Amino acid sequence: MKHIKLFTSLLIFFSVVTPVLGSTSVSAAQSGNTPKTPIEHLIVVMQQNHTFDNYFGTYPGANGLPKDTCIPVSLSDPKASCVSPFKITNEPITDLSHSDVIFAKQFQSGKMNGFIDALNKLNQNGTLSMGYFDDQDIPYYWNLADQYVLFDNYFSSAHTGSITNRMFWVSGRAGREFNRIPEEGFGNIPTIFDKLQERGISWKFYIRNYDPSLNYRKLKELDYLPPQIQWAPLLSFDRFLDDPELSSRIVDFSEYYKDLENGTLPAVSYVLLLGATEHPISDPGLGMKATQTMLQSLMQSDSWKSSAFLLTYDDWGGWYDHVPPPQVDERGYGFRVPTLLVSPYARQGYIDHTLLDHTSILKFIEENWDIPPLAERDAKSNRFTSAFDFSSSPRLPVFISPTREVPEPRIQPRRIVIYAAYGAAMLFAFMILGRAVTTKEKLHGSSYDTALHEETKS
Amino acid sequence: MNLRERLTQRIFPKNPTLVQWWSRDRETTARLISVTLVMSLAAGIRIWGLNQIGFNTDEAVYSGQAAAIAQIPVLKDIFPVFRAHPLLFQFLLALLFNFGVSDLAARLLAVAIGVATVFIVYRLGSLLYGEYVGILAALILAVMPYHVVVSRQVLLDGPMVLCSTLTLYLLARYALTGNPIWLHAAGIGMGLTFLAKETGIILIGAVYSFFALSRDIFVRIQDLIISFVLMVLMILPFPISLWLAGGSKVGQQYLIWQLFRRPNHTWDFYLTTVPEQIGILVIIIAIAGLLLLWGERTWRERLLLWWIIVPVVFFQIWPTKGYQYLLAIAPPFAILASRPLIRWLWIENPLSRNKPMSTTWIRALVGGILIITLLSASWMTIKPATTGAFVAGTGGVPGGREAGEWIQEHVPGEATLLTIGPSMANILQFYGQRKALGLSISPNPLHRNPSYESVNNPDSDIRTNHIQYLVWDSYSAGRSIFFSDRLLELVARFNGRAVHTQTVTVTLEDGTKVDKPVIIIYMVHP
Repeated sequence: MKHIKLFTSLLIFFSVVTPVLGSTSVSAAQSGNTPKTPIEHLIVVMQQNHTFDNYFGTYPGANGLPKDTCIPVSLSDPKASCVSPFKITNEPITDLSHSDVIFAKQFQSGKMNGFIDALNKLNQNGTLSMGYFDDQDIPYYWNLADQYVLFDNYFSSAHTGSITNRMFWVSGRAGREFNRIPEEGFGNIPTIFDKLQERGISWKFYIRNYDPSLNYRKLKELDYLPPQIQWAPLLSFDRFLDDPELSSRIVDFSEYYKDLENGTLPAVSYVLLLGATEHPISDPGLGMKATQTMLQSLMQSDSWKSSAFLLTYDDWGGWYDHVPPPQVDERGYGFRVPTLLVSPYARQGYIDHTLLDHTSILKFIEENWDIPPLAERDAKSNRFTSAFDFSSSPRLPVFISPTREVPEPRIQPRRIVIYAAYGAAMLFAFMILGRAVTTKEKLHGSSYDTALHEETKS
Repeated sequence: MNLRERLTQRIFPKNPTLVQWWSRDRETTARLISVTLVMSLAAGIRIWGLNQIGFNTDEAVYSGQAAAIAQIPVLKDIFPVFRAHPLLFQFLLALLFNFGVSDLAARLLAVAIGVATVFIVYRLGSLLYGEYVGILAALILAVMPYHVVVSRQVLLDGPMVLCSTLTLYLLARYALTGNPIWLHAAGIGMGLTFLAKETGIILIGAVYSFFALSRDIFVRIQDLIISFVLMVLMILPFPISLWLAGGSKVGQQYLIWQLFRRPNHTWDFYLTTVPEQIGILVIIIAIAGLLLLWGERTWRERLLLWWIIVPVVFFQIWPTKGYQYLLAIAPPFAILASRPLIRWLWIENPLSRNKPMSTTWIRALVGGILIITLLSASWMTIKPATTGAFVAGTGGVPGGREAGEWIQEHVPGEATLLTIGPSMANILQFYGQRKALGLSISPNPLHRNPSYESVNNPDSDIRTNHIQYLVWDSYSAGRSIFFSDRLLELVARFNGRAVHTQTVTVTLEDGTKVDKPVIIIYMVHP
């Protein structure tokens, strides 16, 4: 009992003192927070549930869908037919199951042939997993890939759903329970935001349509898991809910535009686009349009010249991908997810083949702002700095077209015809006029008076 | 050996050329000095403060066309090569733009053409009525507000008037000599007039009327045919380049649009605008001269009068009106006004029959009043307009260039702007090198310039990220309150944030100077 009292007293003491000390250390540390690269602002948008092959499987030059791909409908029946990847076009899509169990059945220990069978056994339309989108469906993303960097070897961190993958995204760890939010939250697992806060490096977690009353504590009253809680891991940490210094940095997405306008965009921004999600059954166009708006606003701001914008997807969502993910530990990797990098320093039209996962984002933050690794995963993960070219001057902002349609070309006339026709006309005119001018002749009168006299006389 | 010859021998004892030069008769020397002074004045008033204000919409369009011919990156994708007019001036400008796009260089080319026109007026006046009339006519045109204003701008009318005045000179030369080479050359001149601006072709009506009603001028039918063929040959580059270079469809669209477009000014537009710009005194003296010297009438006055009557009648009837359309009548007016001044003063001084008065003083007084009147009017016209109201073609648009340059520096590439109307859109496209659309452009193809793209649903275009900036300007707002209000509604609806305000300094009635916002650029996002 005595120990409990002592522990409680210490807890209260530290809960009062720590913020004060923390703020002191923040201000002290602020002076040494210059990034090691020209990137002063990193913005990361994590969307949901698509594989690389599902979005960029037919993208020229990328490690996309092999030509002879055909996945059997049933693994138990050797005579069963197979399904080749097909363009989804207007076929309605559903939320395909994407648990760790399904992963294992689809992965088939690296054979990668269970995608349809695994879902069929759940009475889902397994064939749908072989569908893919192309440049007509997600034109803006393809245009971004044409102009900036597309990663074709980027894996989800865990072979399960959103919660664990997003925990890797913020902490480099899987969390306490596999793809579940524990009743008591994620406790004291350190996140990248704790480290940034300690160092006095600005950060924000932007949530579109943010409802501050929704966090993991609310789950006891609810019989469903709201996407905000599921996809924003910080809302399952007590300290991020209770500490005003931390909770004030979880803000509504509208502040993103204000920060751009006011020049207060933080060093690290994580973005959750609720209501503009690409999670099936949502139309990918929703997220694409939101991304376009975000990027255009960034390009219109002064922050553009020192920014990097990364778009990635938390998990594979049940869709087919042909590359077997390396199994680096018992949690992952999961299947590849599409990832794009947009930055004035990004290479143009570059396909980056570096082996990456969500913890590579942490790696970049840690290296750029000199923060020690959070966990083993991010310590060992590869960096994506090969996607940048810091030796060149930053590229000027150029809005990327939201369509793949090549605009009807303006009539580009054969200019040589214009030059030749008008040039010849001028030459001809000079010849005739020159001939006239050099003609020797006598006027009717050498002066007006003489001429007038002669004319009136006649 | 007279005193002067002795003096020059003393100054240049061993140089016979210089002696010859120095000994040239006084009249020739005076003439050379006078012409040089007139040309210098013409150049000076056209160059003064030439680039203080950026392009207006027409200048932006013609320069944009030239940039498109010269294949200047970005601009060649924004501005079409083919529009309504032939491309002689744009072709010359394109040759210049190959060394770099510059609004000052483009305007200097226009000024050079204007000064060349003044010189041809001198030659024409001299040919028709003697040296003094030529010099005075050149002086009048040199300071005439109408010609000064237009020849300071990158417009087609300046080159067109140069070519039409050249044609007039060649016709006069033919009438004087009877040598068919001059008639053939006039055909070339008329072809050049068309190539500069197609409306110049109406002067064929003046040529026809002159020959048809001049019994004293003999014309052989075969010379007329040769002259006509030469004119057609000169015109050919227009249809050939349209056809071979791939712009015939555009050309047809323009023709249809020009034929059926709605009137843009009231019927009395020219009556209320042009006389003041030519000079009321110039017109009065020209008419008075025709009446007072009726007894001395010859083909000369007929030629000049037809050169005035035909364009005036045609453009008065033609529904589409423009400030500079009647510029071709300026040179004949200048000559007709000079003629009585010189002629009358040389004959006698009717005002002081009983009190003899030096005609030199009267000449100086009348000429001085005329020139000072014109000069002061020109000065007032070329001063930067700071009221926010202006007539198209009278000058540049204050703030337009600066706003465009801001856009080029701060607005991301491939961004699209929406302005109130196409006038500001053209200016911002040229200087900003970004696509700009006009809200007032009609969705009905029959009611819009074929090169303009209409915005059928601006609300949707902003929501779908196709338009990212809205631009309000006081000039367009003054002309169309309705579309100004619509644009501001869009600004409010999409949380528009003013990212740039272009101001010009204006002087209020009490003399205080204030910065007036003339162009405001709003950033919008859905």
